[in-house]
Amino acid sequence: MRTRAPFVAAAALAALAVPLAGRAAELRASAIPDEAPTELQRKFAPLGAYLAKATGMEVKFVPVTDYAATVEGLAAGTLDLVWYGGFTFVQARRRTGTAIPIVQREEDAHFHSKFIVPTSSKAKTLADLKGASFAFGSVSSTSGHLMPRYWLLKNGIDPDKDFAKVAFSGAHDVTAKWVEAGKVDAGVLNESIWAKLLEEKKIDTRKVRVLWTTPDYHDYNWTVRGNLDPKVVEKLRAAFLALDPSNPEHKAILDLQRAKRFIPSSPENYRAIEEAAKSAGLIKD
Amino acid sequence: MSVPAAPPRPALLRWPGLVLAAALALSWRLVDGDLHALLSREALGAALAFGRGFWPPAHGRDFLAFLARPLAETVAIAFLGLSLAALLALPLSLLAVSPEALATRGDPPGPLRRAAWLGTRTLLDVMRSVPELVWALVFVRSLGLGPAAGVLAIGVSYAGVLGKVFAEIFESAPRAPARALAAAGAPPLRALAFAVVPPSLPLLASYTLYRFDCALRASAVLGLVGAGGMGTQLELSIKMLAYDEVATMVIALFVLVAGVDLLSQVARRLVRESRGLFPVGLAALRVRAAGLLALLAAAVGCALFLDLPVRQLASLAALRSVGAFFASGWPPDLDPGFLRRVAPAVAETLAVSVLGTAIAAVLGFGLAWLAALRLRPEGGSGRAARTARVAAAWAARGALNLGRTLPELLWALVLIFAVGLGPFAGALALGIHTAGVLGRLYYEALEEVATAPAAALQAAGASGAAASAFAVLPQAFPQLVAYTLYRWEVNIRASAVLGVVGAGGIGKLLHVSLNLFHNHDTLTLVAVILALVTAVDLFSGALRRRIVEGPAEAPRARAPAPAVVDAW
Repeated sequence: MRTRAPFVAAAALAALAVPLAGRAAELRASAIPDEAPTELQRKFAPLGAYLAKATGMEVKFVPVTDYAATVEGLAAGTLDLVWYGGFTFVQARRRTGTAIPIVQREEDAHFHSKFIVPTSSKAKTLADLKGASFAFGSVSSTSGHLMPRYWLLKNGIDPDKDFAKVAFSGAHDVTAKWVEAGKVDAGVLNESIWAKLLEEKKIDTRKVRVLWTTPDYHDYNWTVRGNLDPKVVEKLRAAFLALDPSNPEHKAILDLQRAKRFIPSSPENYRAIEEAAKSAGLIKD
Repeated sequence: MSVPAAPPRPALLRWPGLVLAAALALSWRLVDGDLHALLSREALGAALAFGRGFWPPAHGRDFLAFLARPLAETVAIAFLGLSLAALLALPLSLLAVSPEALATRGDPPGPLRRAAWLGTRTLLDVMRSVPELVWALVFVRSLGLGPAAGVLAIGVSYAGVLGKVFAEIFESAPRAPARALAAAGAPPLRALAFAVVPPSLPLLASYTLYRFDCALRASAVLGLVGAGGMGTQLELSIKMLAYDEVATMVIALFVLVAGVDLLSQVARRLVRESRGLFPVGLAALRVRAAGLLALLAAAVGCALFLDLPVRQLASLAALRSVGAFFASGWPPDLDPGFLRRVAPAVAETLAVSVLGTAIAAVLGFGLAWLAALRLRPEGGSGRAARTARVAAAWAARGALNLGRTLPELLWALVLIFAVGLGPFAGALALGIHTAGVLGRLYYEALEEVATAPAAALQAAGASGAAASAFAVLPQAFPQLVAYTLYRWEVNIRASAVLGVVGAGGIGKLLHVSLNLFHNHDTLTLVAVILALVTAVDLFSGALRRRIVEGPAEAPRARAPAPAVVDAW
């Protein structure tokens, strides 16, 4: 009898799980973890409340620590709405074929990355970084990896060969910390987070300086899964576009998103990113 | 025959010593070993500032309240994962019992039975050779984020361990009852199920409990890849240099692991005392039923707490999406350009494991020497000296516990800041964690040796140190070496994933390929890790047998094999 106990246990477990499966209608939102998840959650809270009111659904933020997992989450239908970077959007679009970018921030149409070095560094141009130890953000980051890699290659530096050491810090603010602490000779991060770190005095400008800024590219957007109810999609899009900086309540939400306002987005905006990813070898066909 | 034998050369100058020295030197070079990074004035200053950052531990009410849930999740994931592992391991281990052990006179095992045995053994080897973090990455990718992936990762990888150990327990159980059943006409597998399994159950339960604290540490790390538990928060606090928060979490983990250790010791004693299958009397039966019910209730409670989508996970669709994940990687990427990048990463991983284990052996031995109280003779010195010795022993034990509490991946995250990114941080991390594990095994082994030879030497006038060196160490030596090699086999698995946090080796390539959805590369890398781990297992296993049993050409009385210690 004893050997049968585990199977009885399994059966009982399965039976108990049945009532667990049914859930209330909720919208599961997430964001690529390009900043600390606690920070993302803080930033999302008022926006989530606003979207809940606009859609009449319960909005739940699912914090993640892994970029690629947000792509798989959208593909598997466990996430409905995700804040993607340009490259993760391209990955999600390629993975699902149907993911829809609904809005982007006005400033996402002209985005940049900043290469930073310790103030004491002798480097004057990108080419001077040969032989340095270098920190990207996350592997899947547009502004912390893909576009910087693309521009490094254009400037004659192959990160896999010409750097003494390449590290992935995982997030933009971590990259800045690493350069500030002298743990790497150089690093690269997204300009919006760089600006925020400067504003909040979280980085010591006596210790870190900007070496080079990339040209414009399209970055972040809010994407929904392709098979989400179109009515919900429309409500979401309308709600984002209705955010008005002259309304103080809306202004607070926009400020937390570091957005002047939201504008419509479309997959075509990210063609250039896809091409860059192909030429940098990050997308293989 | 009258030629006097040349005096034996010191052990370190014979070939095993020389090979070891060469391997260490090569490893040092490969991982960019850098004493300067460790001992320079800046490094020491940085380490001091770093140490100060830990004090006082974060104790704000908000933070503590926030921490409660990830902590509870970590325990729940470990518990459910281990339960799943035991459930999976039991049937697999029956198939994995060697056909020879099952064979009864005049009934040689058929080809079908052999094939089933070989298949199951291979499956178990694969399950336990792929590091649990890699399993977690696979499940996170194929089934989605969250604690479910953590439970499955622990379930699958520990099922591989438990299945192997269970099968070995069955193989070493007394054969007579099974033979009697077989003689009465029972087929071999049935004879096994009714005559061998029941009396082995307490041992199986005991070993499963023994693995609980390992599962707990594993579950604390899985959050690094999004598989639930406290790992997420730990990584975050470490990366954001919030060391006061790290300190609180380390203390919490320390207390948890110690508590679980204590509980599992009590439970194991109860199991041991319960002896055998057949409960004597109604009262014993009630106790067992209550125990099983409690386990079941705990499992259901954990599942509810973690909000596991059990029905979804137990479905065919879930199995299919894991299958689809591997299928999408077929065929593996064998592009020469890619393989050229894999080769140095493999060398680096191997070097990290060798150097890490060596650091652990040295550090662990030093601390174990202090910690082994029974080693030193009682008499002859004053009360103050004795108090100092006891204090040193407890301090050493505390240091070993601390090293053991924090898994190597978390040590690596911390050390990356102390010595910089790359494999050297990985080797040090491996060294510190393993020193904690090995040190404890070492001092337990040292305390077990016979004290008479040392006492005799001292009575003859030898100093305490000389007596230990010549009368204690040689007795324990084979055991210590065997433990160290066991840990090397564990460490090669660990060093294969250190790259996920930036500490070099093949884990970094795996991390990149997984994030970029280069599934063909991922499949190649998983296969390479599997091959590397298997190769190290075979090599180290052969070494261990040779050291414990002596050279094949000069058979000696077989020394008792060391108990299965933390073997994967």
